[in-house]
Amino acid sequence: MTIRRHVLVVAAAAALLLGGPAAAQEVKGKEHVLPNGMKLLLVHRPDEPSVSAGWVAKVGSVNERVGITGISHLFEHMMFKGTTTIGSKDPKRDLEIIAEQEKLRDGMRAEESKMRAAWRRGEVDDITKPESRTARYKELDAKFDALVKEQRDLLVKNEFDRIYTKNGASGMNAFTSNDMTAYFVTVPKNKLELWFWMESDRLKDPVFREFYAERDVVYEERRLSVESTPTGKLDEAFDSIFWHSTPYTWPVIGYPSDVANITKAQADDYFATYYAPNNLTAVLVGDFDEAEALRLASEYFGRIPRGKVAPPEVITLPTKWQYDLLFEGEADTNPTARLRWHTVPFQHKDSYALEVLAELLNDRTGRLYKAMVLPADAVATQASASHNPMGAPGKYAGSFAIDAEAKEGRTPAEVAAKVLAEIERLKTTPVPADELQKVKNNLAAFSFRRLSSNFFILLQLMVNEAYGDWREMNAGPKKLDAVTAADVQRVAQTYLVKDNQATALITRKAGSAPSAEDAALADVPEGMRPMIKQSLERVGAETDAAKLKASLEKMEAQSAQVPPEMKKGFDLVVAKAKERLAELETAGKK
Amino acid sequence: MKTMKTPVRTSALALLGALLLAPAARGIPPHPDKLTYPKFTYQPPSPKEYRTVLKSGPVAYVAEDRELPLVSISVTLRGGTYLDPAGKEGLAELAGYLLARGGTATKTAEQLEERLAFLAAQLNSSYGTDRGSVSLNLLAKDLDEGLAILREVLTEPRFQDDKLKLRKDQLLTEMKSRNDDTADIERRERGFLAFGESYYQNRYTTKASLEGITRDDLVAFHRKWVDPRNVVVAASGDFGKGISRTQMIAKLDALFAKWPHRGEAAPPVPKPAHAMAPGLYLVDKDVNQGRVSVMLPALQRNDPDYFAALVMNDILGGGGFTSRITNRVRSDEGLAYSAGSALPGGVWFPGTFRASFQSKVRTCAYATQIVLEEMKKIREADVTDEELQTAKSSFVDTLSQEFTTKGQTMGVFLDEEFTGRFAQEPEYWRNYAAKIEKVTKADVKRVAQRLLATDKVAVLAVGKKDDLLNPDPKHPVKFPDLTGGKMTDVPLRDPMTMRPMTAAAAK
Repeated sequence: MTIRRHVLVVAAAAALLLGGPAAAQEVKGKEHVLPNGMKLLLVHRPDEPSVSAGWVAKVGSVNERVGITGISHLFEHMMFKGTTTIGSKDPKRDLEIIAEQEKLRDGMRAEESKMRAAWRRGEVDDITKPESRTARYKELDAKFDALVKEQRDLLVKNEFDRIYTKNGASGMNAFTSNDMTAYFVTVPKNKLELWFWMESDRLKDPVFREFYAERDVVYEERRLSVESTPTGKLDEAFDSIFWHSTPYTWPVIGYPSDVANITKAQADDYFATYYAPNNLTAVLVGDFDEAEALRLASEYFGRIPRGKVAPPEVITLPTKWQYDLLFEGEADTNPTARLRWHTVPFQHKDSYALEVLAELLNDRTGRLYKAMVLPADAVATQASASHNPMGAPGKYAGSFAIDAEAKEGRTPAEVAAKVLAEIERLKTTPVPADELQKVKNNLAAFSFRRLSSNFFILLQLMVNEAYGDWREMNAGPKKLDAVTAADVQRVAQTYLVKDNQATALITRKAGSAPSAEDAALADVPEGMRPMIKQSLERVGAETDAAKLKASLEKMEAQSAQVPPEMKKGFDLVVAKAKERLAELETAGKK
Repeated sequence: MKTMKTPVRTSALALLGALLLAPAARGIPPHPDKLTYPKFTYQPPSPKEYRTVLKSGPVAYVAEDRELPLVSISVTLRGGTYLDPAGKEGLAELAGYLLARGGTATKTAEQLEERLAFLAAQLNSSYGTDRGSVSLNLLAKDLDEGLAILREVLTEPRFQDDKLKLRKDQLLTEMKSRNDDTADIERRERGFLAFGESYYQNRYTTKASLEGITRDDLVAFHRKWVDPRNVVVAASGDFGKGISRTQMIAKLDALFAKWPHRGEAAPPVPKPAHAMAPGLYLVDKDVNQGRVSVMLPALQRNDPDYFAALVMNDILGGGGFTSRITNRVRSDEGLAYSAGSALPGGVWFPGTFRASFQSKVRTCAYATQIVLEEMKKIREADVTDEELQTAKSSFVDTLSQEFTTKGQTMGVFLDEEFTGRFAQEPEYWRNYAAKIEKVTKADVKRVAQRLLATDKVAVLAVGKKDDLLNPDPKHPVKFPDLTGGKMTDVPLRDPMTMRPMTAAAAK
């Protein structure tokens, strides 16, 4: 058999002539559709002896509804739990146990309903606390645990992972976003059939065993990524308000109370609709034989029947705002401003000018940095802009985002005002040609940089395909290069406007003082604070040890005469002077 | 099993070709263990094919790769934060950052930034704990201009005053966030427990040390340490139309020739002289998920037990879903999203074993108990044949993933050279698979017994203290019992001075 090589070809060397028409490098993908509607995309790159393989389900949290939020992500976890063949020594008994577990869970759900009623009456303060559980719940829980133990003896623990690992696969993982769920792994080039076996098997006959332990894992993931991070809860609330009226309003990881109550029936229904082959695209990037890959696809994926119902379209669009939304919150974080505007989704004709606009604002030579970070009267320490970044909502609606951290002594409101002044400048004055060219040069260079590894190419193809069409990877760079200064001005005027805008002003949480000094300063009477603060700064900046020593002696001599209301502040300055003196003396010794 | 064979819609011809050429279908086997595969053995590249010693001194690794019209140059420098004089903590970090961000003799910082941005070139510089790095990635056609800029950055950095002030302001703002995220708190306190207060990695930049750093300090640091004798360099990519690898080597040689200053060879990285004290260490922070690390001193990567330790740790907690800690803490009990262990072989001195997880505060003690049980188990009983084989495959059969691009390959070889392993064992990566395959079940047990002394662990937990000590009634594990009753409160540190705060101030 001859091996046909389809090396990525530089489509146009013209990109190298900066200032000339920059056409980017293309991904030569070959698309095929199986009779059951499953799409297959092949990209042959023979340089390295492995294949990065994945498939993407065109489903994410946007396809959920209140009551089952988080189900897409929970599914992503459950897809690693095995099948009727993989994961259990006794699949028959295993399925019986799952049915018995469901029955117990029905009883536990009834108890949870009572616990919620008790919570509404104010009899318990938090139904997730172990102490809030009813006696009946604990009884059922004990029975449930006994079934889990029985099931555990039958399990071939994490067999799905084990099979891949012992065959030299690496990087096996998956992710869920608002718009998609993707599964991927890299296999040695001689093990491509294993990938077809494993992936078609879990699409054909998945068994969602250990469902409730996995649900607890997802809770821990929520605590890790949202609840115990400095701004997680606050960002979740701001996003939710920004996207209100759309299915982007709930978090991908789901509301905690929803995840707890998803039933087996709901899960089965969801799987039948959204994991049918007609809603999936598989992608292979690497060293493989194309004809062989097609044969395997047909043999393995071809055995999965097409879904009975087509996945429904998402029809809820953002409502047109007529106001400027302001959100204020406190968190354990440096003061920050976040600005968001509703824009356009993937492949919209204005999305390219909006991306160029974001890049004009970004980076150390971008407009935000020059206006906000570099000047003598800077208001921020860092600032960034983006339009529909990978992984954010983008299939049905889009957003433009700017985030900036306030400099010491500046407020988030000042930061937001400065951002808006820069946006205003973009609306009134066209961007100079060389500045626009700089941005285009960087976008063109990125169109090369993004093609350096099989895995990263796979990832981008899956994401583009889930948003709408993998070919956008090739079409997008040309459209970006065609953006004019007038386009940039027009999209700024159209989308970055007040009645389309949400602003979050985030300040440091009261009481989470960043230093011992600030905490101590809080004890000083308010009227004296500025004076004491100034003294502290002066002492802290002193570099002459002898001079500091002299003033310290003077202060200590006066200490008895200090009036009681000044005492706390005075002591603080003395302590600071001692501390600084010690530092200067250590530094002097080195 | 009967398989369905239907031609694909868009490519019936290709499929027809496949059917004609491919061997007759064998049908789908009932279990993947029954699949058979074409034979394939991976041979890693050899550093000797890429290594050269420049006339101007540095060792260079150079690989041509014309797939994309980009070129990368990476200059790695001996030295690091361990060179910071007492009272000037932050000097290496500041100097490292400002090499590329503070202008050069012929260009102001602004001119340099604008030119690099217009060329879509990425120039970055930094000093970390044990090395410095200056790297450049740009379009092949701009290589000569890029090299000229790189030469200036390396030999004549301007360290512009306003950029020094800006960077100090940014670092001060960053410092204020030191106690915001429990992950940061945990990382820091782990370092203090493992290596002690006075070890250089634990001498943090403070407000005072930062304010004391002047431009003269940066200039002196640069003259002393940014010197060809401290350099290892790697280059990969497209060197430009008609430019051969040999010509590229000549360009790299010129980059380091006729150095205008006389610097010094950086001294070796200091070794810690601290013994970890066993016990339970608690940091009180009001979050609903605790972070726990179970720690023990481990080994250096040139230790004869290193490969056995790699395999042992993979089975215990390093191998993700095929490892025991992940299986029990995550899959069985649903106690954590991520749970596992790491056993890094230290480069310059023995590293630290660490088993870790994050769990809701009231189940942290229970999950710690499970981790300790698994550590004991792997000391006491042999691992299974399947575990051993799976762990070995996870190292041997994924080796090609270390060398997926020329750039990555040059990075690996640069590191081998920089850390001295190339001098000891030039074909380390070609010998790697055989060393892994040699590990036996007895070796695994032996290293577990050597390294996993469960009665000597230091356990660090960050979370709401009252809840850490108030276990879920379903699993009433008393946290201090796990470490023989030894428990120490670890106060938060003042983020600007890094001194422990009193309880009142931390509130």
